[in-house]
Amino acid sequence: MPIIGDFCLLFALVLSAYCMVAGIVALVSHHPAAARLGESARRSGMAAFIATAVSALVLVYAALSNDFSLEYIRAHSNRTLPIPYKFAVLWSGQEGSMLFWALLLSAYGFVLRLRHKVDRRLVAHASVVLAGIQTFFLIVVNFAANPFGTLDRVPADGNGLNALLQYPQMVIHPPMLYLGYVGMSIPFAFGLAALIMKYPGEKWIHITRRWTMVAWLFLTVGIFLGANWAYYVLGWGGYWGWDPVENASLLPWITGTAFLHSVMMQEKRGMMKTWNIWLIFTTFYLSIFGTFLTRSGVINSVHSFALSSIGAWFMGDFGRLPYFPFFYAYPGFLEIAIAVCLVFYLKNRSHLQAENKLESVVSRESSFMFNNLVLLAACFSVLWGTLFPVLSDWIQGHKITVGPPFFNRINVPIGLFLIFLTAIGPILAWRTTSFASVRRNFAFPAAVAVLTAIVLVAAGMRPWHDVWQIYSLMTFSLSALVIAAVGSEFFRGGRVLQGKLKTNLLGAMYHLTRRNTRRYGGYIVHLGVVIIAIGLAGRAFNLDKQQEIGLHDKLQVGHYELVGQKYTQDHSDNYDSLSAILDVYKDGKFIATMYPTQMIYQPGQPNEQRDNKVAIHTTLLEDLYIRYDGFNAETDRPIITAFVNPLVVWIWIGVIVIVLGTCVALAPNAAPLKSPVPVSVLVRGDPSQMLEPAGAAK
Amino acid sequence: MKRFTLVLVFCFALAAVAEDEGRYRDLGAKIQCSCGCNQMLLQCNHVGCPSSAKMIQDLHTSLATYKNDEDVLNWFRSNYGMTVVVAPATHGFELTIWVMPPLLLLVAVTLLFFLIRLWRQRATPVPAMGVDPQLDALRERARKETEL
Repeated sequence: MPIIGDFCLLFALVLSAYCMVAGIVALVSHHPAAARLGESARRSGMAAFIATAVSALVLVYAALSNDFSLEYIRAHSNRTLPIPYKFAVLWSGQEGSMLFWALLLSAYGFVLRLRHKVDRRLVAHASVVLAGIQTFFLIVVNFAANPFGTLDRVPADGNGLNALLQYPQMVIHPPMLYLGYVGMSIPFAFGLAALIMKYPGEKWIHITRRWTMVAWLFLTVGIFLGANWAYYVLGWGGYWGWDPVENASLLPWITGTAFLHSVMMQEKRGMMKTWNIWLIFTTFYLSIFGTFLTRSGVINSVHSFALSSIGAWFMGDFGRLPYFPFFYAYPGFLEIAIAVCLVFYLKNRSHLQAENKLESVVSRESSFMFNNLVLLAACFSVLWGTLFPVLSDWIQGHKITVGPPFFNRINVPIGLFLIFLTAIGPILAWRTTSFASVRRNFAFPAAVAVLTAIVLVAAGMRPWHDVWQIYSLMTFSLSALVIAAVGSEFFRGGRVLQGKLKTNLLGAMYHLTRRNTRRYGGYIVHLGVVIIAIGLAGRAFNLDKQQEIGLHDKLQVGHYELVGQKYTQDHSDNYDSLSAILDVYKDGKFIATMYPTQMIYQPGQPNEQRDNKVAIHTTLLEDLYIRYDGFNAETDRPIITAFVNPLVVWIWIGVIVIVLGTCVALAPNAAPLKSPVPVSVLVRGDPSQMLEPAGAAK
Repeated sequence: MKRFTLVLVFCFALAAVAEDEGRYRDLGAKIQCSCGCNQMLLQCNHVGCPSSAKMIQDLHTSLATYKNDEDVLNWFRSNYGMTVVVAPATHGFELTIWVMPPLLLLVAVTLLFFLIRLWRQRATPVPAMGVDPQLDALRERARKETEL
């Protein structure tokens, strides 16, 4: 079987390379056979998907059938691994995840080529760009990270999957993230294709809008599944640690978000064409850069399960040849991609002239521009902080570590400004907005925001105590501003439709959303974002306590009291476990019995791994988060760490709202309402009756 | 008077303890555990972690020794290596990490502001037309429905 997988991988590479080369020849040639050649290129691109899929299936089959003759399966699976996690073996290691990337890219390409009738020539160009990317990844999988490498001696069992990856979130998180990363290749391919062929109009943006939103949605879900996994699995009580690999996923998300906003200016007003093209190029570069960061090991990360030397394929390399006074340098895929984009941009930049100019600072356009600027500032600060250790190594001769203190200090104010812009944006009209209109529309949300701040201070928030409480209060207040602004947008639109449709306000809001799904879906996404912000702001009030608790001992944290009831051990095929049984009381009232557990994978083996299964009691107000830290070696008493994390559940609720909002925005608009419109018609006879509204005769 | 002094001393002692606890948490969040887990010192939850207990003890000791937070961080840098502190210093080359993002944002916002002014000056003025309330109403409706 591995031979079939290996062969299919090589065959996929040949097909992709053919798709690229034949596609280029067909596009530049004026020969009568060019159309047929182009069609064969399209079909070979689709066949590459089938070959890659077969190869991936062979690898999954090898995991399911415990084929430890494959080095990759030996390293990432074992006999006792539950079946769902055997599927996850495909993306749990370096080689498999590169194959998975190639598979997703070819799947996207398959759909794109299948739907070539939307615009044959544009899709043909985009198909060539995608084939180029696909060829690169298949070269890497075939020659640098081949998952079908075999062993001379077949071991009886494998190493097993990394214990930290054996969670349901981890079965979904990488595919989601990869779907997001890889999905950004589609708008990139269309953007580059439009630039290459000087595509007239904004149709390419209409075609790619849904692709971009879908990729953005996957990336969003992937990022937050990762956060969810960190919270539920890593056991440190948090969900985001500003790890370089986490940052790498955030970078294309930020530029993708900026693109989704600024692209509206191009659609509506024919502006910011150069900006949009470079924004989508940058999003793609950052996706590739993220892959480089994850794989290269250039920066220390907790995601160290995927380190290797393939980083040079992505970013190139330079250095001095051993024993020779010569330097060498060669470009990686990223440099080549940038060079190709730059060449076509310089050649065809005249095509990207804006059709309109900005007419007013107080307009939707300028709010989008500021939104883009602030998003890019956030992107830069994350990138800057992530790469600063490398810069420090070059300049100072030693690496430093940049962690949460830097990222929080810089990005929280930027995030607050973004929330403010989220509230302002919908209030402003395209082209220009009068101050009277801004005042009229902004008065209610501003009043709600101020009232929220007053109520919170009256309820006991003390922002003057520390900077995080100030940020927290500002987040709550600005979130109230956004919720009120979005709510009044729905309310105003609903009121207008209510009269026309003779329905109740909720029904009118539903019809309003259906008539302009993109706009109102976008507002729902904004609501999701501020709900997440509210969840994040709760962090200013976190509490934690670590204590040894023997039987019937007590631990007090916040309003909660934990009482040790029992400590047990258990054994299963896959792991041994130690559990604490704790009764939990809140303000003296019993609320639950909780079971924090510590799992020991492959106990007693050289590759023994320990992992926490935290116990969490969730309410809308706060999480009680309990970790069992095992026994103190000196006192032989169990150690328990308890955290009280306010508002965390709102982060996950916010993500669900974002998913709903994006689904609404992806849905096609309902047909517009048919209401009688006065239209001038010519009526014979009496000149005084010459102009009469249509329908007046009925 | 004696009672009052005692209460005052007690209050100061409480405040000092609270301040020490604040410094401990603040600095503990700026130091990384050296066991290789890449987690902050106070968040490291490795069972039997060979480093965190000793480092936490060192943090308590250096908090008592040094009144300046930067001195505490420098002590950790010199004893555990440069990479152990995750908050870059606010002097020397490392200052650039703090300065660059806000500086760049400021420059970009200023540039954008002037760019918008320039565009507005260049915008072609539309000749004034006769006022027609009916047309205005239709325009307003078209604007609402198309968002233009």
